[in-house]
Amino acid sequence: MTHTLHRYGKADTLNDDLVFLSMSAKGFANEKDSGEKMKKTLEIAQKHNPVNIGDMKTGNILAIPIDEIMKNVVDTSIVHAVFANVEDAAAFAKEVKEAELGISLVISAPFDHTWKVADMAGCMGHTIEYSGGIWGKTEKLPAPEVLEFTTMCGHGMISRYLVEDVIERVKAGTISAKEGSVEIGKQCCCGIYNPDRSEKLLKALAAKK
Amino acid sequence: MRIDPELCVSCGACLIYCPLGAIHINDVAEVDQEVCVECGDCLRAAVCPTDAFIYEAQPWPRSVREAFSNPLAEHKETRIPGRGTEEMKTNDVRGIYGHGIIGVGAEVGRPGVSCNFHDVETVTMALAKVGMEFAEGNPVTTNMVDRATGKINPEILDERVMSAIVEGTIPLEKLADAIRAVREAAPKIDSVFSLEFIDRPEADRSVPMEKILKEQGVAYYPNGKFNLGLGRPLVE
Repeated sequence: MTHTLHRYGKADTLNDDLVFLSMSAKGFANEKDSGEKMKKTLEIAQKHNPVNIGDMKTGNILAIPIDEIMKNVVDTSIVHAVFANVEDAAAFAKEVKEAELGISLVISAPFDHTWKVADMAGCMGHTIEYSGGIWGKTEKLPAPEVLEFTTMCGHGMISRYLVEDVIERVKAGTISAKEGSVEIGKQCCCGIYNPDRSEKLLKALAAKK
Repeated sequence: MRIDPELCVSCGACLIYCPLGAIHINDVAEVDQEVCVECGDCLRAAVCPTDAFIYEAQPWPRSVREAFSNPLAEHKETRIPGRGTEEMKTNDVRGIYGHGIIGVGAEVGRPGVSCNFHDVETVTMALAKVGMEFAEGNPVTTNMVDRATGKINPEILDERVMSAIVEGTIPLEKLADAIRAVREAAPKIDSVFSLEFIDRPEADRSVPMEKILKEQGVAYYPNGKFNLGLGRPLVE
């Protein structure tokens, strides 16, 4: 599925949003023992300043201790790590490549960043996926500034009502932008929500009052 | 999902956590069973002070709601959690897309609107007409009764899910037809869909499908997914 695609937003905040996923191909040779390889991927991620980490089987570090996430990684897992700049993302990808784990690694980010990460990490760039945007009854969507938060979870687990509530509380000063971002990000089980970007978005919205 | 009326204290803490606004207070909190897609988000939020949420596995056909909506649920067919296949994520090992074969996907209900399978069928039937080859193992494909027409099992048509991904492949020369087909289908559904396209970049980093997307007026995002080619054995 396409859970790390379709992240909506303006270029200035998307530039700080680099999401990785790693998995094996089910029924192919690299599936065997791939859980251990995904654990290694997450170990490497922890060395390069991730802003989020998670596994679709267990949850993310905003809600669950990293040890528990690591312990539950299995061959059918899909593991994730989110970085807030190209340098950290490239350092992570380079170390994963050097580890020769043999499982797929996919980055979601602005395409000029994805090529930069590929070059810095010495990767080839195999397949590319474009989002063709949202079609149909778009009047059912929340406001664009809310979509920037909700589309950071590809499974639709970030409620627009939670986002709107958090925005109001940050504006009112009852919680900080950081606290609000963690509160929202906990709901995205697989750990692809970017709390760093979210904090910047909340601060910008609060400044508008 | 249900809420135990004996335990609920009507505090309203859970209301904002439902992505579809399915929880309301009538004396105590209640879940609108038509709107609820069994995603489990309210339960995982763990904000209920009296643990009043009741999770129950649902019988067929309502069981498709959880299968297509709860990200922690694993489809029996794909053995992966989520709503689709591995698509481009493992294309470096599978080699499904590229060299004139384009991946096309329409995730009906996304982002955060939800849909029923009447909406999904409108899209599958439109794409079937232009020769889309639906993805093996994809849960929407699995629930078709006729892949040639894109017809969905009538037993599930009224079921509501967070989203369902119509996935498949089409030759590059038919990509424009596929885009025209979804453009015609879009106003006929009572929901939205997020559209996706998969290809392989050439050695000079150009992407063959881009020309057609531009000709067809598809305003694709400047950000997207990129398989770095670390899977082994590698499909060159």
